[in-house]
Amino acid sequence: MSENKTLEELTKYFKDEFKTKIKSIDIKKRATGSKKKETSTIWMKIDKGVFKDAIKHLVDYQYPHLAVVSGNDLGENIELIYHFTVNYGERLREINLHISVELPKSKPEIESICDLIPGALITEREKQEFLGVKIKGIPDNRKLFLPDDWPDEVYPWRRDETGPEKYYKNLHEVNK
Amino acid sequence: MSSKTTTKTTYHIPVGPIHPALKEPVFFEFEIDGERIVDVDVKLGHVHRGIEWASRKRNPIQILYLAERVCGICSYCHPAAFTLGIEDAANIEVPERAEYLRVIQGELERITSHMLWAGVAAHEIGFDTVLFLTWEMREKIMDLTEFLCGNRVTKGIMTIGGIRRDITKDMIPQITKSLDYLKDNFEKIRHIFLDDKTVKLRSQGVGILTKDEALKLCAVGPTTRASAIKKDVRVDTSYFAYGDLDIDYITPDVLTGEVNGDVYDRIIQRLLEIKQSIELIEQCLDIMPNGDIISEPKIPKLLNQLKKVEGEGVGRHEAPRGEVIHYVKLTGEDAPYTWKVRAPTYNNILPWIPMLKGEQIADIPIVAASTDPCMSCTNRVGIIKDGNKYELKKEEIHRLSVEKTRRLMS
Amino acid sequence: MGFSILPKVLSQMFKKPWTNKFPAKYQPSNTTKYLKAVGTGKVKINPPIPTPPGFRGKIIYDKEKCIGCKLCIKVCPCEAIEYKEKDKKIKIYIGRCCFCSQCNDVCPTNCLSMGDEFLLADSDPYAKGLIVE
Repeated sequence: MSENKTLEELTKYFKDEFKTKIKSIDIKKRATGSKKKETSTIWMKIDKGVFKDAIKHLVDYQYPHLAVVSGNDLGENIELIYHFTVNYGERLREINLHISVELPKSKPEIESICDLIPGALITEREKQEFLGVKIKGIPDNRKLFLPDDWPDEVYPWRRDETGPEKYYKNLHEVNK
Repeated sequence: MSSKTTTKTTYHIPVGPIHPALKEPVFFEFEIDGERIVDVDVKLGHVHRGIEWASRKRNPIQILYLAERVCGICSYCHPAAFTLGIEDAANIEVPERAEYLRVIQGELERITSHMLWAGVAAHEIGFDTVLFLTWEMREKIMDLTEFLCGNRVTKGIMTIGGIRRDITKDMIPQITKSLDYLKDNFEKIRHIFLDDKTVKLRSQGVGILTKDEALKLCAVGPTTRASAIKKDVRVDTSYFAYGDLDIDYITPDVLTGEVNGDVYDRIIQRLLEIKQSIELIEQCLDIMPNGDIISEPKIPKLLNQLKKVEGEGVGRHEAPRGEVIHYVKLTGEDAPYTWKVRAPTYNNILPWIPMLKGEQIADIPIVAASTDPCMSCTNRVGIIKDGNKYELKKEEIHRLSVEKTRRLMS
Repeated sequence: MGFSILPKVLSQMFKKPWTNKFPAKYQPSNTTKYLKAVGTGKVKINPPIPTPPGFRGKIIYDKEKCIGCKLCIKVCPCEAIEYKEKDKKIKIYIGRCCFCSQCNDVCPTNCLSMGDEFLLADSDPYAKGLIVE
């Protein structure tokens, strides 16, 4: 494990390894308080094929903190965003890193990262049941939040015909 | 005589969802060999209410109050993280006085939450006197919250671009009076919790989470700091006014010199954090600048401004239980396109498994309560049909826990 | 033996209890009879602690000042406010209100304010006392 990299060194670390497979990198800085101290964020979009290698590359640099995986339904694709943070442990040095991957709805599959980061199990199970993404190699395949008798093809976060509209009841309008 | 073909099988005990140790439902399944736990499985989903779905037809001002009702005890941290996400996506500047006021309200919430936890932890051991004592002290802080915000629990004080109520000069004597009361009694609480022989016998060496496991399972909050991993959003990043304040990581070796990662360390961790919060509030009251408290006071103008924004933002806040993260995506309509809520207990569920393996049944309540879980935050419900399973009732488990204390004392 | 809580427990025997005895010191054996007696004035109940200024209780609506702009309906998170087309005034269902006071902040003529009444429990969510118009 090397010394904590700065923001520019970290972007270079990823760009050198993956070159064209990275679709875009955006850097944002935000200053707060009277002394205007800044916090930096990197938003990165990468190709689905090199996703597992990119995560391995990140773990090689420093064991990251995986906060959560959030998902978006973009019509034809499903976008998964992995929210990491690195360089924790020192005052005001942390860098937020958001890696997003797009999967086509016809084949929404991605590899699991539970062998590299065991703490990702709960958030991957949630994506499987809420968005219908199939995660290959996940150690535990059960439903997490939805009840056991929830029908299989209904995905609550999607905005197309597999969404949960038919299960929605506006109770107070019935009674008024 | 037949050869030995029978193997000893473990006994399977389900515990929950009407949970014995906590005030919220969670479903454990234990494999027990004698009195020792061999394996544990956790099931969630009992309080899932579909909050993220309810946000799809509400504008950001309405979502603030929806976010507040995710959980009762963490009712400030969810609007705070949501506001940080929206301000990140829309690039809104917040006045400096508002940032300091937000810090004060956040730290007040941390004090009430930790004192509530201290009482609940004592109740799990069977020490009801301390439950009533800490909750009596907590009432003073609840009265202060009611005076500053208008309500004891659902504060309703956060808004996009600032804060809704100011702290004027005539409110400050009341604040200092309550904080002085707490400072005078802090030594009493510390002496009761940390020097008492019963508490030490029940909590030292129990429910250990090693440093390596805490790192690999991405644990957050006091649970991970008590295992000597330095992760604290207030110290690592600069948000609200924390960049200006004098703040450092707190780990149990500040008090005792060594870190074991057991329940006793987590008690030390939370008591030290109460002390740190009082010091932070005093620092803020000293150096708070004058000025506005909100960047856009007219709400219809603010809503129109947010309607034109297209972008995504992430807001992270250090709640009493750990790191809260909200992700918001705005696409130029009334309601946000996506809103993802992740409460801190979410990440603290997997550490339960290594903590509970090898412990006795009577230790289940105190180990489960020592990570300070808040199940309402985690699920956003369902109706689970239990099947015909034999369940250990709440009184049984509580009785076992109290009996163990008596056994150890005699 | 190390019982650090013992001095505090013994001193508590000589102190006044901390709780306020609202509404009665002990639970009555028959609650409905007790409430009837309170209604006729035979039994007095201890009052609750007075609320601080700025407390968010039941909404007070000043009908004269209202101009019917519907901004409060736009910001209410609970859909507790209804618009009456003919009079151009509003009707508030307290049964659905969550006491956030966002409608107070938004109103351009300041016709809404929060009172300090909080004992609003009722068995019917659409009772007379729970609708403000």
